[in-house]
Amino acid sequence: MNALVILSLILLVLMILIGGYRGMRSFISLFLNFGVLMFTIFLMLGPQMNPVIITLISCAIISCINLFFINNVDQKTVTAFLSTIVTIVLLIVLIEVIVNVSMIQGYGEEETEELAVFSLFVGIDYVKIGASVMIISTIGAITEVAISITSSMGETMKHHPSISRKDLFLSGMRIGKDILGTDTNTLFFAFFGGYLALLIWFEDLHYSIGAIVNSKIFGAEMMTIFFAGIGVALIIPITAWINTYFSVKARKKALKESNEN
Amino acid sequence: MIINKLKKMSRKQWVVYSLIVFCFVLSIIFVNHNSSFYKQPIAEVLSTHLQSKEKVTDQHNNKDQTYKQSIKAEIKNGKDKGKVIHLENEYSSSGAYDQKYKPGNEIFVIIDKHSKEKHLTGSIKNAKRDKYVLLVGWLFIFTLLFVGKERGFLALISLVVNAALMSFALDIYVISSYKSLVFICSILVILFTVISLLLLNGVNEMTYASITSTLLGIFLTLGVTYAVVHFTDGNGLRYEGMQFLTRPYEIVFMAGLLIGSLGAVMDVSITISSSLFELYEKNEKISLTALRKSGMDIGRDVMGALTNILFFVYAAGSIPSMILYLKNASPLGFTLSMNLSLEIARALAGGIGIMLTIPIAVYTSIYFINQKRKRI
Repeated sequence: MNALVILSLILLVLMILIGGYRGMRSFISLFLNFGVLMFTIFLMLGPQMNPVIITLISCAIISCINLFFINNVDQKTVTAFLSTIVTIVLLIVLIEVIVNVSMIQGYGEEETEELAVFSLFVGIDYVKIGASVMIISTIGAITEVAISITSSMGETMKHHPSISRKDLFLSGMRIGKDILGTDTNTLFFAFFGGYLALLIWFEDLHYSIGAIVNSKIFGAEMMTIFFAGIGVALIIPITAWINTYFSVKARKKALKESNEN
Repeated sequence: MIINKLKKMSRKQWVVYSLIVFCFVLSIIFVNHNSSFYKQPIAEVLSTHLQSKEKVTDQHNNKDQTYKQSIKAEIKNGKDKGKVIHLENEYSSSGAYDQKYKPGNEIFVIIDKHSKEKHLTGSIKNAKRDKYVLLVGWLFIFTLLFVGKERGFLALISLVVNAALMSFALDIYVISSYKSLVFICSILVILFTVISLLLLNGVNEMTYASITSTLLGIFLTLGVTYAVVHFTDGNGLRYEGMQFLTRPYEIVFMAGLLIGSLGAVMDVSITISSSLFELYEKNEKISLTALRKSGMDIGRDVMGALTNILFFVYAAGSIPSMILYLKNASPLGFTLSMNLSLEIARALAGGIGIMLTIPIAVYTSIYFINQKRKRI
C-alpha cells in the first residue's frame, strides 16, 4: 500500500468527521491547489513567458480557491482577495530585486552531486524562479491572515454599527497583531522542519558560521523565512485599510438608501 | 504627525527604539567591513569585461546562452590585501548554477600560488552573501516591529530563542551520535511549545490548556504518521529525493515532520483555547454544549486555511527541481514522486495533526475551564 494514499484517506476521513461538508470542501481545495501548482510549473517550462507574471496569475487563482471556494463570495472574501493581490504585487517586486542582487538563485555547491546527470543550461531565468518560489511558499499564509482580519472586522461592524473609521481600522490592526505571532510561528516551524536535513548536514560537515551564512542554500532558505514573515506582517495594515475603506463606503450607501426610503 | 508621535513616546520606548537603530547601524557597518574576520581571501570586483558569448543547445533541445567574463578584483584581506587579482568566470543566462558578477560584488577566491604571471590569478569559490541575508533579516525585524509593536517583538524573541535551542540541540545530537534524533526532537518540541506559548500568551490557564493540547496533538500525529509509514514500509515515499543526507533518512524525515507540524498544531490549539476562554470570561455561566459547539466551529473555520499554508510551504520549494527534471526530459511520474512525495507526506501529516488537534483542544480547554469554575 502507498503511504501517501493512506495518509490522504486518513486526512479525508478526519476532515469529513470534524468538518462535514466544509471539511470535504477543504480537502478538495488541497487538490485544486495541487493542480494549480502543477499548471504553474508547466507554464514556467515555456521560455517565452515571464515566470513572475505566471506566479502572479497563479497566486490570484490560489487565493480564489482559498477564499471563495472554502468560504463564500461576499464582501469579506472579496476585500480579502483584493488585499492579497496588493500585498503579493508589492512583495514580488521587492523579492525579485533582492534575489537578483544577493545571488541566491538556483543551486548551491552542496547540491552538485545530485545535479551531475542534468543539463543546467535550460534557458529559464532562475532568478525569477527563485522569486516565484518565495512568493508561492507564503501565499497560503497571506490569504489566511487576510480572511481572518476581514471576518473579525465584519463581526466588529455587526456589534458596533456606528464605529468610527479610525476605530474600525484599529480593531483590524489589533486582530492582525493577535494572529501575527501564531502565524509567523506556524511558518517558522514548517520551514525549520523542512530544513532539518540541511542543518544536520552543516553540523556534520563542520561548516564554520562564515561558511554557513555565505552559502547559497542557507542564504536562500533564511530569506524565504524572512520574506514569509514580511508577507504576513505586511498584509495586516493593507487588509485593515482596504476593509475599512469598503466597509465605511458600504455603510454610507446603506445609510443613504434608508434615508431615501 | 510624525513629530507629534515622537513627542508622545515614553522614555522607555525611546530607549528601545534607539537601541534597535543602534544595533542596525552597527551590524550593517560590521558586515560591510568584516573581511578580516574570514580566513579565506575575499576580493571586491573592480571591473568586468565580457570576453565571449555563445549560444548553446543541450541534448534536450533547451536553448541557452553562455558567457565568459574576465574580472579584475581587489583582495580585501590576508597578506595579499590591496593587490589586484585577475579572475575568469563563466555564466549562463539561466543562472541555475552559475553567476554573473558586477563591479562592487564581493567574492571568496582561491589564489593560485604557482602562477608565473606578474599579477595574482586564481579562481572564484563563492559569492559573499552575508550582508544581503542581514539586510533582509533587518527588513523582517522592522516590518514585524512596525506592524506588531510589542506583539511583534515577542514573536521575534520567541523565534530567536527557538532557533538558538534548535542549533544547541543539534550540536548535542551531532557530538553524541548514539542518541536518537526523534527523541532529541521530541524534547525540543516540548521546549518549543512551552516557550512559544508562554511568550505569545503569558502565564495563565489558557496557556496551560493550549500547551497540553498542542503536546497531545503533536505526539498523536507523530504516532499516526509513524504507524502509517511503518505499516506501508514507506511505500510511495521516495527518500532518494531528500537532499543533504548525512544520517539515516527515515529518522531525519520523521524528525523534520514532527517539527514542521508543530507550528500549525500550536496555531489550532491557541486559536481554539483563546476563543473558548474568551467566551467563558464574557459569560461565566455558558454551558458546556455551547462551548463545545463554538470550539468545533472555530476549528472548522481554520482547518482548510492552515492545511493549505503547510501545503504551499512544503510544495513551493520543489518548483526549481521539478523544472530542471522536466526540462531534462524526465517522465512526469518520476519527477513528481522524486520531488514531491516527501513534501506531500509532510503536508498531509500536518493536516492530520491539525484535524486531530481540533477536538483535543476543545476538550482540553473545557477541562481547564471546568477546573477554573470549581475554584470559584
